[in-house]
Amino acid sequence: MLKVCHLYPDLLNLYGDRGNIIAFMQRCRWRGIPVELLEVNVGEPVNFADIDFLFLGGGSDREQNLMAEDLLLRKDSLQQAIEEGLVVLAICGGFQMLGQYYLTHDGQKIPGLGILDVYTKAGDKRLIGNIVIEVEINGEPVKVAGFENHSGQTYIGNLQPLGKVIAGFGNNGQDQLEGVRYKNVFCSYLHGPLLPKNSKLTDLLIQLALRRRGLDTSLPRLNDDLEEAAVGVIVERLSK
Amino acid sequence: MNIKLMLAVMAAKIAAFLSRMFGGKGSSLPGVVARKIYAGTLRDLAGQARQGIIMVTGTNGKTTTNNMIASVILSAGNKIVINQEGANLITGVTTAFIRYANWWGRIDCDYALLEVDEASFPKVLMEVTPQMVVVNNFFRDQLDRYGELDKTVTLVRDALKKLPEVQLILNSDDPLVAQMQQATGHRATFFGLAPQQRTETGSQQTREARFCPHCGEELQYHSYQYSQLGSFICPGCSFQRPEPEVEGFAVETVGARLRARVKYPQGEAQITLHTQGFYNVYNALAAFAVGNLMGIKEEQIVKGLLTYRPAIGRMETFSYQGKPAILNLVKNPTGYNEGLNSLLSIPGSKTVFMAVNDNDADGRDISWLWDVDFEHLASADHETDLFVCSGLRAEEMALRLKYAGIPREKITVIRELEAAIKTALEGPGQLTYLFSTYTALWPAQKILLALAEKEDTHAEGMSSVS
Repeated sequence: MLKVCHLYPDLLNLYGDRGNIIAFMQRCRWRGIPVELLEVNVGEPVNFADIDFLFLGGGSDREQNLMAEDLLLRKDSLQQAIEEGLVVLAICGGFQMLGQYYLTHDGQKIPGLGILDVYTKAGDKRLIGNIVIEVEINGEPVKVAGFENHSGQTYIGNLQPLGKVIAGFGNNGQDQLEGVRYKNVFCSYLHGPLLPKNSKLTDLLIQLALRRRGLDTSLPRLNDDLEEAAVGVIVERLSK
Repeated sequence: MNIKLMLAVMAAKIAAFLSRMFGGKGSSLPGVVARKIYAGTLRDLAGQARQGIIMVTGTNGKTTTNNMIASVILSAGNKIVINQEGANLITGVTTAFIRYANWWGRIDCDYALLEVDEASFPKVLMEVTPQMVVVNNFFRDQLDRYGELDKTVTLVRDALKKLPEVQLILNSDDPLVAQMQQATGHRATFFGLAPQQRTETGSQQTREARFCPHCGEELQYHSYQYSQLGSFICPGCSFQRPEPEVEGFAVETVGARLRARVKYPQGEAQITLHTQGFYNVYNALAAFAVGNLMGIKEEQIVKGLLTYRPAIGRMETFSYQGKPAILNLVKNPTGYNEGLNSLLSIPGSKTVFMAVNDNDADGRDISWLWDVDFEHLASADHETDLFVCSGLRAEEMALRLKYAGIPREKITVIRELEAAIKTALEGPGQLTYLFSTYTALWPAQKILLALAEKEDTHAEGMSSVS
């Protein structure tokens, strides 16, 4: 049984975030891997060591502040689970929150959890549009497509990026890097439904979750024609 | 006589003619041209409405509400100016007046009825002063264009605050809308639905507002209508669902019609609407409230609502070889969820067509599809037999259905609209249900008009709204 945890679904439900949960769970179910969803909201208990896949999305300012307050209280147990290999997908606000701080326009430093050595500063323009990045999955370069919409610019220092930007902005619109990978944590600005289209990435997360539990990681192949076609539309459009 | 206005109107009329000759709809270009020539065009034209200006804003139902108000006002014998559906930015609003103006820039009308996009609302208010403003609801819509919902609500609220005086007509069931009275201090008439008018609402629905707009406490609900609409109360301050002056109850679907009772200060009425979709009762209640405020008699309001016919893509009905086909515009999660509820409320098997475009006017980000509860369709598997996905993002639509649990063999992708619509019309279902995002709507309607017969025509007196 894999336990999927959606943190703050009540607060962070912008941009079709739940598509990521749907995709992870369906691809498990289609292969007969039992999977269970836990929705954890502000103030509700959760034991991160017990979770196999944790999803953290983004929200509007008000919601994000409420989330940050609650998440800071859980920092230690989350950090420990991450060091022990918890599989995490954090998007946009979630990505920024795992970092050191967010530097606002007027120079104010809003602290993050500081689990990842990355920081974000407020940008002048919104980085917005379809994006294609190249991600290395099991030694192969895979084109991953999505939509980004953020004004924060994130710098990941020496950490490994999730992928290289082929078309679009990425973390900050400058260094051609997108997202960050640390242990089994995957962060990205490709918001909303990142996992449904990008099935190889989803399968990688499932495999990592199975491996952490010492389970069989061989995944029967699924028919992914629609997934590939949906990515293909964006790749083709952006390569023109 | 204002020479500048005359020149602007003439140039705009020529631009409209040329635009239509080259196949355009001419719904915004004339406004753009006129405003370039004379910045006061809209102000001067709107100022000629003898009785005043009524604006409708909010996320869903603007076009329907505005057209319903038009039906009510027309049935009382007034002359109106109304903006062409969808053309609800400042240029579209300007174009509407130009269309009704003569070459000298004169307009003969009692009321101007304007649906105004939420983001354009403050801009339009700088040039046009309404006597009444209807606010329907606030939902997330095209986030990539407008940013967050909070921002949209604030825009509308701040714009209203700047008006010295205005009569508000507000939805009492939407906390984001109902707050507008306290927040702006204007006088308001509330419309709403008696609690528990429906039973089929999905519990999974996106709720847009969880917190009190005045004090920030989490709102408590006795009951929900849909999304954040319902009977709410704030435990932190005195804010709660205002008692509506115009309240609908006993809502029922009778064939392709909706019926409801309406309680209002002077009595009780029965309304019948030639349309479906639960949300349309709210739109009708808003129109009822406007009519009542104007002193229009109950019979005339009821008659006006009865003569209302849906605009393009608002549950517009066609017939293909004796089989009904319904065309429905979708643009955000709540609207789509309501569309799915309507689909499931019609008995019999359906072939479903879903077109998704991601042009600017649709919103380039289609992530919101993942917030729609297509899972309802999967759990009512026997109700549907085929899904035809089309449009520029047909593949993403198909993918969403697959992950909702619709069997893969029921999903087909046909990017090209005409072939896709044909396949859907000829599908095995007893009814064809067509969903379309904004920019695919006109092409889809054109194709339907060529292939099928239109069931109902526009209400009398509405022919000028082409």
